[in-house]
Amino acid sequence: MIGAPEAASAARRVNVLQGTTFVTDDPGIVLTTILGSCIACCLHDPRARVGGMNHFLLSEPRHGRIGLDGEAERYGVYAMELLINEMLKKGASRSTMRAHLYGGANLHAGMHAIGTENSRFARAFLAKDGIALSQANVGGDTPRRVEFRAARGQVRCRVVGSDAPIDETKATSAPRSSGDVELF
Amino acid sequence: MTKTILTVDDSPSMRMLLRSALTERGYDVAEAEDGVAALEWLDSNAPNLVITDINMPRMDGFGLIEQLRARSRFRDMPILVLTTESSDEKKARARQAGATGWIVKPFDPEKLASAIRRVSH
Repeated sequence: MIGAPEAASAARRVNVLQGTTFVTDDPGIVLTTILGSCIACCLHDPRARVGGMNHFLLSEPRHGRIGLDGEAERYGVYAMELLINEMLKKGASRSTMRAHLYGGANLHAGMHAIGTENSRFARAFLAKDGIALSQANVGGDTPRRVEFRAARGQVRCRVVGSDAPIDETKATSAPRSSGDVELF
Repeated sequence: MTKTILTVDDSPSMRMLLRSALTERGYDVAEAEDGVAALEWLDSNAPNLVITDINMPRMDGFGLIEQLRARSRFRDMPILVLTTESSDEKKARARQAGATGWIVKPFDPEKLASAIRRVSH
């Protein structure tokens, strides 16, 4: 387990919070999350019977320049690499993984299209890493709830009301240990 | 004289980010997708420093470091590990293999540049 997903109930539902990643080969676990402008990438490898989800959010763009200051790439790359690494550790391979993307809504009219930028980033990352994107439900202006039975690759995504409780503040900073340097 | 850094990572996106951060700071950058590709490149090249991931196909970062330290011409070359891993056990293994330093992803370009300057001779 990476990050600190919150066990939602005894039904083995795991809420994947912003800035966290969860990978499992347990077919009884359902990963859930609610997304606004964030992206959740769900990966499934049918051969290895393993799946996982991350949930990342861009920081506020500096000087109104989205993606030009490295923040999008840093946090997005980190979340994507963490997810892929954990999948590989459980026997998956890039060539057999299938990806779904969810989220990327632009919730606030008139503001920077952070959701669109998130979606663009995630699509580009998957393409560069040679991972097939089999489904994307992104964009729009409403939040989504995603339920992902990861080990089986079964996903349900539905739009929820715009008053759904979305905490979009927690993941605006990188994980505490990020970038730490230790020289031997 | 411009210094050359070899980055070893199986993620093209990560290699692209490293290239961007390092070339902006005046380094020449070479890339390899894993330990095997890195060793092939190193057969005929001598960078000033290597930055390597740990989790890679064919040959991981530990294997690469061990192979490099076994070759006399790379015995003193700085090798920085750049990884999502943060466990003390893996860090100790890297140190034992001969790594010069350990950096946790996502990297901060300034911290990375500072680490490179500190270990470069």
